[in-house]
Amino acid sequence: MATVGRRERKILWAASVPMALLALSCIYPLWFAINNALKDNRGYILDRFGWVNDPTFENFVTAWGRARFSEYFLNSVVVTGGAVAVLLITASLAGFALAVLRFPYRRLVFIVILASMMIPVQVVLVPFYKTIIGLGLLNTRIGLILSYTAFFLPFSVYLMAAFYAALPRELTEAARVDGARFWQVWWFVMLPLGTPALITLGILNTLYCWNDVLISLLVLQRERTLMVGITALRGEYSTNVPLLAAGIVLAAAPIVLIYLVFQRRIVAGIAAGAVKG
Amino acid sequence: MSASIQPKSADPELTLISVTKSFGGHDVIRGIDLTIEKGELVVFVGPSGCGKSTLLRMIAGLENVTSGEVTIAGKTVTDEEPYDRGIAMVFQSYALYPHMTVAENMGFALRLQRIPKEERRKAVEKAARILQIEPLLDRKPAQLSGGQRQRVAIGRAIVREPRVFLFDEPLSNLDAELRVQTRIEIARLHQSLGATMIYVTHDQTEAMTLADRIVVLRAGKVEQVGRPTDLYDDPDNTFVAGFIGSPRMNVLPGQVIAEDRVKLAGVEIAMSGLSEKLAPGEDIQIGIRPEHFMEGTGPRVDLTIEVVEQLGSTAFIHGSLGQGLPVVVEARSARPAVGDTVSVTFDADKTCLFRSTGERIR
Repeated sequence: MATVGRRERKILWAASVPMALLALSCIYPLWFAINNALKDNRGYILDRFGWVNDPTFENFVTAWGRARFSEYFLNSVVVTGGAVAVLLITASLAGFALAVLRFPYRRLVFIVILASMMIPVQVVLVPFYKTIIGLGLLNTRIGLILSYTAFFLPFSVYLMAAFYAALPRELTEAARVDGARFWQVWWFVMLPLGTPALITLGILNTLYCWNDVLISLLVLQRERTLMVGITALRGEYSTNVPLLAAGIVLAAAPIVLIYLVFQRRIVAGIAAGAVKG
Repeated sequence: MSASIQPKSADPELTLISVTKSFGGHDVIRGIDLTIEKGELVVFVGPSGCGKSTLLRMIAGLENVTSGEVTIAGKTVTDEEPYDRGIAMVFQSYALYPHMTVAENMGFALRLQRIPKEERRKAVEKAARILQIEPLLDRKPAQLSGGQRQRVAIGRAIVREPRVFLFDEPLSNLDAELRVQTRIEIARLHQSLGATMIYVTHDQTEAMTLADRIVVLRAGKVEQVGRPTDLYDDPDNTFVAGFIGSPRMNVLPGQVIAEDRVKLAGVEIAMSGLSEKLAPGEDIQIGIRPEHFMEGTGPRVDLTIEVVEQLGSTAFIHGSLGQGLPVVVEARSARPAVGDTVSVTFDADKTCLFRSTGERIR
């Protein structure tokens, strides 16, 4: 291993200060939420920033039951699960088509997909909302699943196309010589080989869908997903912060868990999207 | 192309009729006619970019044919998908499915044909026995060496029992020793299966050792088709003369001095057995194989020795004839020294004459 010289050590120390501050800025809100979720309202008012003295899980019980978090949780699970499943299948097929098949205007299609990644969601909100109403998909889980699919599909297709393009072309050719039709090449060869990219994509899309507020707020107005549900815990004139914190912890817990378990794959996925293609 | 060496059979296994291939207006294959008999091992050979792999892929159905016709077993397959052509292909990179075991790789084609599992297993085991890869059947490709992967790729082709085997430079990823070994195994396999095989390589040694017939390609056209020894002894042009044989044939400038006499490095050579008459004064090229020097009692020329490559059983002398014509001479028994000038003979009957355009004079 190369030895680190005195000058390099100084640079490392200098770089580690902003990194530590950045880490602190990420960890502190998490600690703040967990710490205050374990306080009662009185304990919070008396000492907002201090450590919890007498921890209670009352806020979690209230949030889950009385604040209808169980319903919101189910909604989030259904739309996230549904959208991720549709996204993975569609992205895998589209990525396969764009990377392997030769058809007219293939490049143009790919460029359009890339371009659509650059349009912010906010820009298309009005036409999007009108379309959802026009299709009768307002206040339906299917509507939200399709919306997530539409918004997150360009990146997903891009990632899968980049992954499949890096696979040796001979594999699909060998499958064709072996007698595989189009669907069979995808099912028997491309889908299993794409598993690492699909896992990464599944995790990233789960994060996006679960954490979304804006699209969910527009499409699912009567029912709510977990992230939108959190806002219901805020009163107009006063807010029960410990209850809100418990809601935030409940909403964030699955995603933090996924992030911790699949950390490496998430980073790999982001890197793949950044440099390939 | 020599028409005479095209086999005349009423029932050929594969025919190519005026096939062409263009990529965006650029002609890659320029009108190829070829007939391959059942059980033949035909090798496509040529330098990089000559179109040999493209031609093989056109036969396989992996590239569209721009014009012309491909038939296999009498059936026109020009527009058929690869799986409807009765072919199996061994790729240069093996193209084994990395997520499947060796047995699954070999049995994949049968699985797609919905052959029952038991039958599939038997077919895979039979092919594995032929290739001596039975202990590897449960392994994944990543757990195999290059040579083992190559055998599995060949096994996958055997299991399908195709009419025509296609090999696309199958040995190019193997080391020198393994390449020789696998080459012999492919030759054995060809003999034991009696199958029709088309083999693409840029290595003329592979072509010479394996082929029943060699098709020499250059820039998308067939330069010559024939048995390996025919191409070696009787090349149609300077390209084939130079490409077949290692070290390559010496092609030296000469001049016609009479209808049956030519001059090389100041030495007059009497040519016998020519059916074409030579035109005195014409500049020609004279081809002499390295091993045809230092034999017979023919014409004698002075050779200045510059480099000697000792191979033990033989030696190759790199030197110059007369006024500095570079040549390679094989010296089997002599042990020449660098810097010497020696007088060497060559067999005039074995020389080949070519016009300045490269065409053979017979």
